Amino acid sequence: MEVTFWGVRGSIPSPGPATVRYGGNTSCVSVRLADGEIIMIDCGTGARGFGISLLAGAFGKGKGSATVLLSHAHWDHIQGFPFFGPFYVPGNRFTVVGGSQSAELLERVLERQMAAQFFPVQSYRNMGAHIEMRAIPEDREVRVGAAKITAHPNPHGPTQVMAFRIEADGKTLVYASDVGYESGGPPEDTLAIYRGADLLIHDSTFTPEDRAERMSRGLSSLDDAVDAAARAQAKRLALFHYDQDYSDHDVDELVVRGRRLLDARGAEEVEILGAAEGLTLTL
Amino acid sequence: MRVRFWGVRGSLPVPGARTERYGGNTSCVEVTSASGTRIIIDGGTGIRRLGKELMRAEFESGKGQAHILISHTHWDHIQGLPFFSPFYRGGNRLFVYARQRDDQNLRSVFASQADAPFFPVSFDRTRASVAFRELHDGAKFEIEDMQVSTTRLNHPHVATAYSIAADGARVAYIADTAPFTDILFGQEFLSGPPLQHTQLSRTDKTKLKAMASAVVRLCEGADLVIYDTMYTADEYRQYPHFGHSRPSDAITVCQQAGVKTLALFHHAPDRSDAEVDAMLDGARAQAGGKNRKLEIVAAFEGLDLLLGKV
Repeated sequence: MEVTFWGVRGSIPSPGPATVRYGGNTSCVSVRLADGEIIMIDCGTGARGFGISLLAGAFGKGKGSATVLLSHAHWDHIQGFPFFGPFYVPGNRFTVVGGSQSAELLERVLERQMAAQFFPVQSYRNMGAHIEMRAIPEDREVRVGAAKITAHPNPHGPTQVMAFRIEADGKTLVYASDVGYESGGPPEDTLAIYRGADLLIHDSTFTPEDRAERMSRGLSSLDDAVDAAARAQAKRLALFHYDQDYSDHDVDELVVRGRRLLDARGAEEVEILGAAEGLTLTL
Repeated sequence: MRVRFWGVRGSLPVPGARTERYGGNTSCVEVTSASGTRIIIDGGTGIRRLGKELMRAEFESGKGQAHILISHTHWDHIQGLPFFSPFYRGGNRLFVYARQRDDQNLRSVFASQADAPFFPVSFDRTRASVAFRELHDGAKFEIEDMQVSTTRLNHPHVATAYSIAADGARVAYIADTAPFTDILFGQEFLSGPPLQHTQLSRTDKTKLKAMASAVVRLCEGADLVIYDTMYTADEYRQYPHFGHSRPSDAITVCQQAGVKTLALFHHAPDRSDAEVDAMLDGARAQAGGKNRKLEIVAAFEGLDLLLGKV
């Protein structure tokens, strides 16, 4: 299983010299499985770069297919949708899976972004590729080729966000962005979803100090991410969804502090890294 | 008058090393008069950092006032507004101007951007006083000591050009627009290249001619014209229906209107810093080499231009 980061930023893209190393694009992660299946998790502005890379292969000839998992519909997780090149090549096939109550609701949400006053394509149906919308089924399990995907609703302020556990090729990837736990951290059923992940991509928008000032936003701090990884005995933790104002230096600091926090609680065996645009991890 | 660029990119923000010099934020330009009247043109992602800057002065204490002119509501011209900090401080007074629509109230267009499930802070929770002013085509009005004129552009749906005069100087903002050779305005969606000029009806030709002359009139004698030059000639041939111009289109308008300086603007997301440099060189050569009367610059984030009395 090959995991690539295309956008690692939260809230809004933050271009500029201060974010060149980790990247300023909003959330997008791609997963390539041994059987060739391709999964895109979230569709922030990072999706544009992922799309460009796919067009060099089968997707450029209208012979590609992929699954798109959407954790939720906040702008920073869908704003790359209109700019994902493979959607414009007839013949390509996509299944978009989101946490809406029905496929119709998911479609309505994504169509609002495409409406004529906001974007000149007016509807995703005008993009060219075949795009099918699917709600997450009641048992919260989705199969993509040999992969078993389990969705799990996490709290995100007053609303919900889906975490995804992807098991394939004997490895496990967990994506848990935009989560703001109740005090006490992730409950047991959430830890069960994270447990033993070879890679846990976890929201760590803030330093603990900044998080304290912004409790209402439903996002995690570095220590929430560390706590979740240690308790779930994840093998590797990737910090993700950095605040738009954090510079590369600030993110370096997050990683160093995260290492210290893990060591201090006896979780030396958990690896930690800062997700960065262009980074590929092979599990 | 001071003109400062906060976002110069078209379509979507493009962070990264390739765009470090010109900047990756979407459209936002600040125009302030010597007396301190503040106009902001467009609310792309560049407006976020402008908001942070404003919060270092009177906007922090709720005593700020600014006028936001919106060219049109495509995402790259409004997506920064929910992140504009002065909205969230009580006492600040903000005025948003955009062309009226027949089918939807202006406020609701902007408010829908901050609705669930897209954004966690509803527009009703902005603390500042926000007034919406709907403009008709060709509207002229005053904002304190600044005179504003408008005219419609050739872009799908609706787009408005603005000119602002103050302190004995004038700046015009022409984005987004295609050249005036085919009909894009008023169209909801064009799946491919539209009818070319030779195939148009006489009425349509007349409309386009009137639109082109109105744009030249708006730019007449301007010190600075900021123009949508998203495309190279090749790209325009591929995408004439997306509603953007080439540097050559901007140069034609500026030369007809006797403009002093042209700022290339709304750079394509794919355009690297080196490619913008090359586009600028090409435009300067085309405008008459060293003997040209028209100065040309390529807009970059942080560029400050002082016009007239400052």
